[in-house]
Amino acid sequence: MKWSSFRYLVGQGLHSLRMNRLMTFASVGVLSVCLILTGVAYLFSTNVDSLVEYIGQQNEMVVYLDPDLSEEEISQVDSSVRSISGVTSITYVSKADVLETYKGYMEEYADLWDAFEDDNPFKANYRVVVEDLEQMEALSAQFAAIAGVVKVSAPLELSDIFVSVQRVVTYAGYAFVAVLAVVSVVVIGTTIRLTLFARRKEINIMKYVGATNGFIRLPFFVEGVASGLISAAIASAVVLGSYYALEYYSGQIFTGMWATVVGASLVPLADVWYWLVAGFCAFAFVLGGLGTAVSIRKHLNV
Amino acid sequence: MIIFEDVCKTYQPLGNVALDHVNLHIHPGEFVFVLGHSGAGKSTFLKLILREEKATSGRVIVNGQDLSKLKERKIPYLRRQMGVVFQDFRLIPTMTAYENVAFAMRVTNIPEKHIRKRVPFALDLVGLKDKMDRLPDELSGGEQQRVALARAVVHTPKLIIADEPTGNIDPQLSLEMMELLGAINAMGITVVVVTHEHELVSRFNKRVITIDKGQVVADTDQPGLGAAFRDAENAKLDLGEVRI
Ligand SMILES: Nc1ncnc2c1ncn2[C@@H]1O[C@H](COP(=O)(O)OP(=O)(O)OP(=O)(O)O)[C@@H](O)[C@H]1O
Ligand SMILES: [Mg+2]
Repeated sequence: MKWSSFRYLVGQGLHSLRMNRLMTFASVGVLSVCLILTGVAYLFSTNVDSLVEYIGQQNEMVVYLDPDLSEEEISQVDSSVRSISGVTSITYVSKADVLETYKGYMEEYADLWDAFEDDNPFKANYRVVVEDLEQMEALSAQFAAIAGVVKVSAPLELSDIFVSVQRVVTYAGYAFVAVLAVVSVVVIGTTIRLTLFARRKEINIMKYVGATNGFIRLPFFVEGVASGLISAAIASAVVLGSYYALEYYSGQIFTGMWATVVGASLVPLADVWYWLVAGFCAFAFVLGGLGTAVSIRKHLNV
Repeated sequence: MIIFEDVCKTYQPLGNVALDHVNLHIHPGEFVFVLGHSGAGKSTFLKLILREEKATSGRVIVNGQDLSKLKERKIPYLRRQMGVVFQDFRLIPTMTAYENVAFAMRVTNIPEKHIRKRVPFALDLVGLKDKMDRLPDELSGGEQQRVALARAVVHTPKLIIADEPTGNIDPQLSLEMMELLGAINAMGITVVVVTHEHELVSRFNKRVITIDKGQVVADTDQPGLGAAFRDAENAKLDLGEVRI
């Protein structure tokens, strides 16, 4: 196709976008709302992921060692413990470290603890942060099986709850986005159908003078995809703007314990904005094209 | 230029027979009238030539191409070899005369430089050069039909087909229209005019193919064909005149 023809066809598509102002407005409106909701669903689920990860980090497993182990035995256990994969961090806390910690809690009575210096009653242990909360149960069994480990304490129930919340949010998000995608395709399809109707005379003439199908269809795709991209721009502005405000004012909105949790786990805008914008554009491009294709297939017999 | 070999056309699902074993041969450079009553199958005949419809049986050959074997995506290129004029003009009301003619060239991928040369030439040919910036609504019926004709000839096709081109314009202008078509024919372009106006046809000394109930019942090229039909038609005309 010649460049001048291509420019002409793109011009035709954009022209009908303007002529069809009311319907364009309606379809861009609906599509923007769909994209905004999709964006919110994405941000929500990203933040739930981040929250689950944060809580996972707070929920260490503690692997207790037999207090009667000799230094040699401890070093053997150490290599077994460190050979297990699926672990984000592992910290050894010796008997003495535990004692120090308790001393720190009760500084006034630090002297009292001195009595234990020679006969330390605490167990040396490993603080383990797992990579994936779902794997906590399996990992805790692996640690328990190592000779020299007397006990593994893992907050299994709590991790179960967060893992299920995360799963529900993810699946609900998928379902939600699928429904919105269908709605968008229908709305764009309807707009294109109106354009087809408004331009049926021109289409008829184009057929008789020997315009190819591609030539007849291209302006409609331009219109559909352009509506999509306008919606993507609107949705980006709204979602990024709101999220920015949320981030900026989160200190005032959340108080107490929530301030700590949100402060640590709120995903920064800087880490997600490009995903959102790229996602919006891709999503809008595909939906605009698909809506047009569906409508053309149904209503344009060329 | 156009060959029909034993062509039948039946419209599904009702099974209406629109053309019934039609045989004819239109040569390059000819001017032919196709005459018939309403429902005789005239438009169907044109639709087969344009490959808007496919023959149910038989062969239609246009400009050397067997249309039953023509691939779907080649149809636009078939149509670029012809120009079509309709009874209802089919101009785009929001475009000027110039734009209407230029539109036909633009959508067939012709460079703008060429369009700027050809469009005024075609409008001049139909005598509308000074009105090319008017919208269809600002032109008379006869002028609108001439714009449609300019659009049909602007790309110098080998064949012009016109379906009732004078159906919406008054008799005086109909004659002018026919004269224009005659002038275009004199440039070497084959012209096929479909009409039910017996009167108009009889004013020109051209080949006439008469269709009735889907069959070719008379052809001035083959005087032997359809003598009985012609007598019956003449009898009807006579009766009509008596009644008036
Ligand atoms: N798309 C169609 N589906 C079914 N039947 C059709 C269709 N088009 C035409 N016909 C039938 O085929 C026959 C011939 O129709 P056609 O349009 O060719 O007639 P015509 O000679 O052009 O008539 P007119 O002068 O009124 O335009 C008619 O009986 C008509 O009812
Ligand atoms: Mg007809």
